[in-house]
Amino acid sequence: MDRRNFLKSSLSVGALAASGGLAAPAIAQGAAKTLKFVPQANLANFDPIWGTQYVVRNASVLVWDTLYGVDSKLEPQRQMVEGEEVSSDGLTWTFKLRSGLKFHDGEPVLAKDVVASLKRWCPRDPMGQMIKAIEKELVAVDDKTVKWVLSKPFPKMKFALGKNNTPIAFIMPERIAKTDPFKQITEYVGSGPMKFAQKEWVPGAKAVFEKFADYQPRSETADWLAGGKVILLDRIEWVIMPDPATASAALQGGEVDWWETPIPDLIPILKRNRNIKVDIADPLGNVGSFRLNHMHPPFNNVKARRAVQMALNQEDYMRAVVGSDDSLWQLLPSFFTPGTPYYTDVGGDILKGPRNLEAAKKLLAESGYSGQPVTCLVAQDQAPLKAMGEVTADLLKKLGMTVDFVATDWGTVGQRRASKSPPGQGGWGMFHTWHAGADCATPAAYNALRGNGDSAWFGWPNSPNTEKEITSWFEAKNAEEEKAAMGRINKAAMDDVIYIPTGFYKGFQAWRSNVSGVVGGPIPFFWNVKKA
Amino acid sequence: MTVTVSPAAESAVLAGEPELPDILPPVKQRRGITGFIYRHPAIAIGGAMLSLLILMAIFAPLLGTTDPAALAPSKRTRPPSAEYWFGSDMMGRDIYSRVIYGARVSLIVGFAVAIIASLAGLVIGLVSGFVRWADSIIMRIMDGMMSIPPILLAVALMALTRGSVPNVIAAIAIAEFPRVARLVRGVVLSLREQPYVEAAVAAGTRTPMIIIRHILPNTIAPLTVQATYICASAMITESILSFIGAGTPPIIPSWGNIMADGRALWQVKPFIVFFPAIFLSITVLAVNLLGDGLRDAVDPRMAKRL
Amino acid sequence: MLGFIARRIVATIPVMGIVALFVFSLLYIAPGDPAVVIAGDQATPQDVERIRVSLGLDRPFLERFGEWSWRILHGDLGTSMFTGMPVTQLIGQRLEPTLSLMVLTLILSIVVAVPIGVLAAWKAGSWIDRGVMGFAVFGFSVPVFVVGYVLAYVFALELEWFPVQGYTPLSEGLWLWFENLVLPAIALGCVYIALIARITRASMLEVLQQDYIRTARAKGLGQRPILFLHALKNAAVPIVTVIGIGMALLIGGAVVTESVFAIPGLGRLTIDAILRRDYPVIQGIVLLFSFVYVLVNLIVDLVYTLLDPRIRY
Repeated sequence: MDRRNFLKSSLSVGALAASGGLAAPAIAQGAAKTLKFVPQANLANFDPIWGTQYVVRNASVLVWDTLYGVDSKLEPQRQMVEGEEVSSDGLTWTFKLRSGLKFHDGEPVLAKDVVASLKRWCPRDPMGQMIKAIEKELVAVDDKTVKWVLSKPFPKMKFALGKNNTPIAFIMPERIAKTDPFKQITEYVGSGPMKFAQKEWVPGAKAVFEKFADYQPRSETADWLAGGKVILLDRIEWVIMPDPATASAALQGGEVDWWETPIPDLIPILKRNRNIKVDIADPLGNVGSFRLNHMHPPFNNVKARRAVQMALNQEDYMRAVVGSDDSLWQLLPSFFTPGTPYYTDVGGDILKGPRNLEAAKKLLAESGYSGQPVTCLVAQDQAPLKAMGEVTADLLKKLGMTVDFVATDWGTVGQRRASKSPPGQGGWGMFHTWHAGADCATPAAYNALRGNGDSAWFGWPNSPNTEKEITSWFEAKNAEEEKAAMGRINKAAMDDVIYIPTGFYKGFQAWRSNVSGVVGGPIPFFWNVKKA
Repeated sequence: MTVTVSPAAESAVLAGEPELPDILPPVKQRRGITGFIYRHPAIAIGGAMLSLLILMAIFAPLLGTTDPAALAPSKRTRPPSAEYWFGSDMMGRDIYSRVIYGARVSLIVGFAVAIIASLAGLVIGLVSGFVRWADSIIMRIMDGMMSIPPILLAVALMALTRGSVPNVIAAIAIAEFPRVARLVRGVVLSLREQPYVEAAVAAGTRTPMIIIRHILPNTIAPLTVQATYICASAMITESILSFIGAGTPPIIPSWGNIMADGRALWQVKPFIVFFPAIFLSITVLAVNLLGDGLRDAVDPRMAKRL
Repeated sequence: MLGFIARRIVATIPVMGIVALFVFSLLYIAPGDPAVVIAGDQATPQDVERIRVSLGLDRPFLERFGEWSWRILHGDLGTSMFTGMPVTQLIGQRLEPTLSLMVLTLILSIVVAVPIGVLAAWKAGSWIDRGVMGFAVFGFSVPVFVVGYVLAYVFALELEWFPVQGYTPLSEGLWLWFENLVLPAIALGCVYIALIARITRASMLEVLQQDYIRTARAKGLGQRPILFLHALKNAAVPIVTVIGIGMALLIGGAVVTESVFAIPGLGRLTIDAILRRDYPVIQGIVLLFSFVYVLVNLIVDLVYTLLDPRIRY
């Protein structure tokens, strides 16, 4: 124990002993059961259906539970559900809840809560919207049974209810689930393994979760969102630290226990520290995205988009994002996640090989580009996006384009990217974002890959070819057909430049060596995590 | 006990002039530049440093710099070396070049804010001092604006628009001019009571002439001193704005920007923050010294006050 | 005396009114539509319109200003747009750290700066004087966050004397509370110390030239009684003025210091709110800080009367 901690603890113990307070061993135990975690971003609002940020989802998996949960192979497994039945025509799904499930306020989890929660989830989730479009009936048959009747089969139902992509189909009490999906909930009661200590919440600084004693974990071993979510801590404190230097110093000093997103440049110093362990945070990694606006010039012309594809050098982007460690990134001539069973790079040749700036400039000229400024929305408070934005400004300038660089924060980017106005009137030309590898493994929950024009994700790409191939994937009857469909999707999306992947990269997470049970995944999983 | 008489004194006596004994050595009055430096060290040192920095900023392309915006992500965060004199930042850009070019932004922001705030404050202070019915309204508004801490005001203003050098200048100038207005108004009020001004009014001189002839010359001195302090304060405020992320866009290198970029890495690559910090501190120091020196020179009484 | 206090308080009302109008209109003319942000990614235009009406963003300016002012006077600062929590609650959560930091910095600065200013005045012209003044100019010139990082590196990381970041409430122990605030207070106090030291020296110098000091010395009074009994008391007025004015510097600097040392105070709340365009929070905080500033200057004016019997209002 270093000098400061010794001084501190002896003073505190002395003070408490003097005041005739708690016995010393009890204090030591209490401290050991609290874990301090530094999340990737601020937890400003805490409604996982309303807010689609990753950090909200990560906090929500502690507080709410789901009917199914995907494991590390992205296969949905039963969680709150004891069993399900599908009718032979595939049109009726009957779910039976486990017994003994309780909410944090002591009320039992009933089928009507499930129905209300699913009703709130559907309008906000693309797969939920697909289900709603073919829904005939969603009712609670009795206290423990839910029936969902469709007009067409939907084989991916379990995946939809158990996926880890936002928004997750969390089950909330009926009274909370009745809130309009476009307004925030104000009460955070769920049936998950931890309770949210709302009184101790300081948005922007701290969020506290306490163990829910009445949680009934499943008997299987925990594996991502599947299995028994056994909590071995009494208390988890999320300490929000926007300054990475401060977070790094705090981790080194033992003032926090686990840092979700250490920046790559600080990893060497953390690795050298004997009390800190460092490992890849998510084996499924991240896909960087150069998102173009297909609605307005210059990128409404496919040639202009292809010109950027030709000139874009993924190595520059990746080095800017992850630094000097080559094991952390790889080239990605694809929209899908490397290392997953259905990965394909068919049609991605344009992103491979040496860059041809001259040919790109010629193609740009052919598209009729005449010097309009490209409005680039670049979030400064997210390190990878800030880095990518600067590489882009350089790239576009090299192509001879005029750059209107808007440096702002992620919240504002989120707001402005929704605008369909032309660039001169509050619209935009491009912005950067990234997608977790887990979201890009298949087209199932991949909103950013869709090409359905006005209803598509920001950028509103209009690519009938891509849409056709995605439909063919959903209708595929076996793995062979799925794989073939993926190849076709990739080619179509590349040809129409739905967006440009800037590369595939992974990040680290770091934790103190007295913390055990930390696994890699798209979400920081707190079950089976222990602090010595 | 004889008093020796020098030949000069002898001839003076012979010429009929009274002769003063040589009990004190003659005071050496240093002339020229050295004299100036000796009498006003602050102005000399501050002015010299500032001039050097301005020259450095103007002649940036000739000082061995490369394009400050040139990216080379494969060569990021290299420590200082022969190739990168101050090292390279997280995008592989040469920090030396960015610091030298960054001087331009910081100096421009500093001077522009000083000039704009001084002029705005001058005009408003004059109006407030002369137009009695407007005085209390204007001063209330100035008090109100001064009640909002300047950094908060500047950040809030920057939140309204996007980051750019003119916007930063405007935001900081708006936060600073109320103090100048107060100062000028104070001077005007005190001068208005002076006999020579009353005489000029009695003689029928119109107000504009009074302002130009009598008021302005007396405001120039304290205004200039205040302007140098505003310049120094503006440069620091710009760096704080950039630090928070509400300042000049990252494409344009300014010392604040470079420090903000490198702040996450100060523990492992301190040179990214170190060099712009040194330059900023030296510049602000120079301006402060200049201001102190000017104040001492302009009003020896004020020298003791502040 | 009471009449004076009452009059001064009344005089601050129009000032606060101007601040309120300024703050309110500032954000009213801001670009960007908070309803769009709140509605989120998947909202339809009808949903955005619904949110807009529920937030009252469709009503005329004066009506909104009037209603807002009325609520402010009743202590209701509105509700944060992003967290749904009342602004007063958000501020209340963050008040203690910022207050602690500022009070500690204030005490530290006065305790350090006044003696060295007096020392510099006493030994005017000597190398001590030049050293102190040199250090003071330095204190102005280095940005707060640089000082913060250097202090954190040396004293927290390397020597491990103090923690790097965070805040411990006073209720958890005096020493714990103190050790978290030492480095931030020093970093924040540098500018303040420089300012106060300079004004102390200047004011003392002026006073030390006065006739009554010379008389006291001629009477045979020792150096210390002269300095502290006679000189400092008379020199105090400008010093107290500067302490009052310097509060604005403190408030501004607290914002940066809280970022560097991860103190969950009002400064960080302000920055977050501004970057997110969370209008009610921004309005509430700027109003609060301005009110505090005005209050501090009021106290300063009152302290004048204690220090200098000639000053009577």
